[in-house]
Amino acid sequence: MHVLGVREAGADDGALESVVDRVVDRLAERGRVGVVRYDATIADGTRARESTTLGGDVTYDLGVDGDWTASGTGMSVGDALESLATDCEYAVVVGVPSLQYPSIAVGSAAAAEREAGETVIAAVDGPGDLDLDALVPALESAEPYQSLASLVARVKRSPRADRAGAIATFTGRVRAKDSADDAPTQYLEFEKYEGVADERMAALETDLETRDGVFEVELYHRTGIVEDGEDIVFVVVLAGHREEAFRTVEDGINRLKDEVPLFKKEVTVEDEFWVHDRP
Amino acid sequence: MPTEWKLFADLAERAGDKHVTVDAAAGDTVGDALEALLEATPELEDRVLEDGELRSQINVLRNGTNVLVEEEGMETVLDADDELALFPPVSGG
Repeated sequence: MHVLGVREAGADDGALESVVDRVVDRLAERGRVGVVRYDATIADGTRARESTTLGGDVTYDLGVDGDWTASGTGMSVGDALESLATDCEYAVVVGVPSLQYPSIAVGSAAAAEREAGETVIAAVDGPGDLDLDALVPALESAEPYQSLASLVARVKRSPRADRAGAIATFTGRVRAKDSADDAPTQYLEFEKYEGVADERMAALETDLETRDGVFEVELYHRTGIVEDGEDIVFVVVLAGHREEAFRTVEDGINRLKDEVPLFKKEVTVEDEFWVHDRP
Repeated sequence: MPTEWKLFADLAERAGDKHVTVDAAAGDTVGDALEALLEATPELEDRVLEDGELRSQINVLRNGTNVLVEEEGMETVLDADDELALFPPVSGG
């Protein structure tokens, strides 16, 4: 799933909404689009009229043909993206500053100001300035959002899924401590050899998929800062039977760790070091 | 014709840069390019060499291919516009 932020930078609500409408229309021609709006006035699971949801509950209002509305509590922008990722090709996130995904800034201040860590792929005064033909490739060239669920959903859509009786997965995550008195890890920072790492991962997937009874292999590794408790890497295998699924997941993560040029720096509460220096 | 080295992890930190351009051209060897790199960034020498030989844990890639495993090692001859990379053991996952 490709994630696009849209935020205001001096524009009024009308200009921002027009930009969102035009972008969503264009993306919807290419695939299913999820829209996440951040609105700080939503509280206790309600915004306005019909919903009767109280704190701690989630309400789905279902209509005909699978149409629905929902309200609830306890969902972050990250949670919303995770739930969209299984069946949306695109997500548009409106009103969240310094998003870590490609963004459009709307308003007269858009060209001048930049939020830290943000990648602005278009700075526009209003919908008239949008170059949608340039925007779509810029969005699609960025690293897509993946989750374990979105990778599982993808292998289930395999043309060979009717022969597959097993999905096995591996999730690597940031471990705070390796023993009781270990200094807690705050985050890991991964550096990737751009281009070569992706080639090696693609070649590894292709190689594992040539095994008898293995139909699809998906490898995904995050880069940049990954905090304590967050997921780092996923291996997902669709196979005929459990034996080859388990074996291929194990070989997949082992070979990824051995062969793909990724470098891990560990930052603990006491220290910071490259992991290969501390075998 | 200059050749660019890409450096990773602690090697880039020691050198103070992720990219170092050296004076090595098509026809020169990877060993020549490495020598030029260590002249440009002497702080790398102890980390990369041991008794004048490449340390076993250091990887050298030419256009994504490990020259020590799949090519002629330090004797591998450069083509025009090669991309060279130097890095420590990989540590993904």
